[in-house]
Amino acid sequence: MDDFRLIEILLAEDNPRDAEMTIRALRKVNFANKLHWVKDGEEALDFLHSTGAYAGRDAGHAPKLILLDIKMPKIDGIEVLRRVKGDERTKTIPVVVMTSSNEEQDLLESYRLGVNSYIVKPVNFPAFVETVASIGLYWMLTNRVPTEK
Amino acid sequence: MTLNFGLRSVRNKLFAGVLVTSLAALLVTGVAMLIYDLRSYHTTQVNDLTTQAELIGRASAAALQFDDRKFAADNLSLLKVRPKVRAAAIYNAKGGLFASYLRAGAASAELPALPDSEGFRVSGDRLHVFKRIVENNEILGTVYLRSEYEFYQRLRNYLAIVLGVSFLALGVSLVLSGWLQASVTRPILDVTGVARHVIERRDFSLRAKKTTEDEIGYLVDAFNDMLAEIERQTQALQTSNRALERQMAERSVAERALRDSERRNRTLVDATTSVVWTADRDKAFAASQAAWRDYTGQSGDECRGAGWRKAFHAEDRAAVESQWAQAELSRKPFECEARLWHGATSDYRFVSVRAAPVLNAENEIVEWIGTVNDIQDRKQAEQEIKRLNAELEARVKERTAQLEATNKELESFTYTVSHDLRAPLRAIDGYSQMLEEDYRVRLDEEGRRLLGVVRNESGRMGRLIDDLLAFSRLGRNPVSAHAEIDMTALAKEVAQELLRDQPPERVRLDIWRLPRARGDKALLRQVWVNLLGNALKYAGSRPRPEILVTGEVNNGQAVYRVADNGVGFDMKYAGKLFGVFQRLHTAEEFAGTGVGLAIVQRVVARHGGSVRADGKVGEGATFTFTLPPGENDG
Repeated sequence: MDDFRLIEILLAEDNPRDAEMTIRALRKVNFANKLHWVKDGEEALDFLHSTGAYAGRDAGHAPKLILLDIKMPKIDGIEVLRRVKGDERTKTIPVVVMTSSNEEQDLLESYRLGVNSYIVKPVNFPAFVETVASIGLYWMLTNRVPTEK
Repeated sequence: MTLNFGLRSVRNKLFAGVLVTSLAALLVTGVAMLIYDLRSYHTTQVNDLTTQAELIGRASAAALQFDDRKFAADNLSLLKVRPKVRAAAIYNAKGGLFASYLRAGAASAELPALPDSEGFRVSGDRLHVFKRIVENNEILGTVYLRSEYEFYQRLRNYLAIVLGVSFLALGVSLVLSGWLQASVTRPILDVTGVARHVIERRDFSLRAKKTTEDEIGYLVDAFNDMLAEIERQTQALQTSNRALERQMAERSVAERALRDSERRNRTLVDATTSVVWTADRDKAFAASQAAWRDYTGQSGDECRGAGWRKAFHAEDRAAVESQWAQAELSRKPFECEARLWHGATSDYRFVSVRAAPVLNAENEIVEWIGTVNDIQDRKQAEQEIKRLNAELEARVKERTAQLEATNKELESFTYTVSHDLRAPLRAIDGYSQMLEEDYRVRLDEEGRRLLGVVRNESGRMGRLIDDLLAFSRLGRNPVSAHAEIDMTALAKEVAQELLRDQPPERVRLDIWRLPRARGDKALLRQVWVNLLGNALKYAGSRPRPEILVTGEVNNGQAVYRVADNGVGFDMKYAGKLFGVFQRLHTAEEFAGTGVGLAIVQRVVARHGGSVRADGKVGEGATFTFTLPPGENDG
């Protein structure tokens, strides 16, 4: 997975179980190989800005979709969202918040910051798989984004 | 009687007046006429006799010259035609009797021997006249005539006539005066009678009758006017008297009240703990201020005039003076707090100073009456209360802060619960699913069943967490209870959604017309979901499930009922129905987390309503809840 040019989905998720289940769900619709998983907000921002551990990555090649958990160590998902949407280079990337939290304030804050979609992860696994797969399909295939320069 | 006498006197006076006047007039007239008549008689007799003597003298001049006595006697005898002439004689120049005449019956002695000087003389009832016979300035002789002189007889006759006339006049006067009296005195008598009645009966409404238009009539009018005036004044006097009596009565009442009031005031001043003082209009103390002296220790001389100021704390003097000055301007009472020297404890104490101006009728200040009340203890108590209040406020603030912190903690706790409990649950569910998917062929029937239980339970726990979160959110979020809601439509909408999964012909769900309510639509929708869901759930096992929803407005509240013919419940557990996680059935019998009715109760309570459950085992249950009514159904 060192060739980041193939990466089209960035998954920011601190919980390896959720990450594994997400990847499994996306595998069912054949997006798993285009996904890169980062374990906290800091790593997600490093990836996007080609800094830190990702210093060598081509910053010009942005992912087509960011799947963002809210509760993460170091920098949480809301902050990542704020920076992504506040940065000219990344603001057009669709961000889907996927969270276990059903908190109204998180929902409101996310939409205020410009989130593209907000999903409460179902506890029920088949529902979870269904939800993640449909998100992948929708944002990767159905949805259209402005073409890069 | 005096009046009678007076009247009689008036009558007598009138009578006497008429009489005296008449008599006086008669007498004067009679005397005047008598004098005139007697004078003229006398003059006439003298002249007549003198003329007669002259005539005889002339006629006898020749006889004397020629001494013809016979001729002279003839001349004298002519006097027969004058019967009144009793004797006559002619004397020659030497005084010797020349001729004489005597009337029959007259004595010759009646002839004087010698003639007197020319002129006349009266002696008794005889008039004697001597007349010189002069011819060519030569005295030839003297003629003497003596005639009856009826002076006294005439006087007598005259007096008799005067008396007769006087008596006649008196009689006429009497008659006339009687008539006059009648016309003059009757109206007066009338007036007198009326006056007597007035005096005897004290009836001033009587009036004299006016019969004439003369002075008497005027008198009657004046009398009547006077009576009217007296009547008016009497009435006025009586009215005034009555008013005066009333005033006297009032005054005596007022005086008694004043005395009572004074006594009370004295007692009050004695009994009150207030220091009572007085000051004159210039705000100066009089010398004797016993209460003031007792409190402040100032002697009479010390507090006199403006000396009282010194008893106040130096910092408070200006405030007291300015308050008082303002009160003086507005003529209103004033009140202020200040520190006053307390002689007994040799310290300043807080007092409440009050004073009110005593005004006279012209709204001018006459003097000031004031009190001083010791409020030191109250002041201290107030300060203590203030301190306690401040302390309490601080504690409340502290507690509120603590509570807010606790709430925050609770919020973060529920956040954690929602996030952290869900993640492992999802993992359990997901991984058991993965296990089933990937290792299905290696698991036998029992292994798959056990996996199924794991997944079932994790799902139930997920629902429990969701419900718990929903319930805790209800307590935190404010309710927007202002929207007007068509409860009939809302209940029908919810019922349709719930029945979507049921064969509709099996369940009978009737919703009657429901009153409108005011509240939060989303929350009230949840109430219908939970209540109708419950009813469907517990009636669902019946062969013919029946649910009836009704409502009405009662006592200013909208009341709703959801009745079912389900399994019902024992009323002794009715209280447990609305508790969180409280269930009357096992999960095997009926699915559920035990939060639904707790949510219903919390939503209804937050709308200011109440909810109750009635039921009987095997015979169904009825849930009743109330809400604030909508405007239209109010």
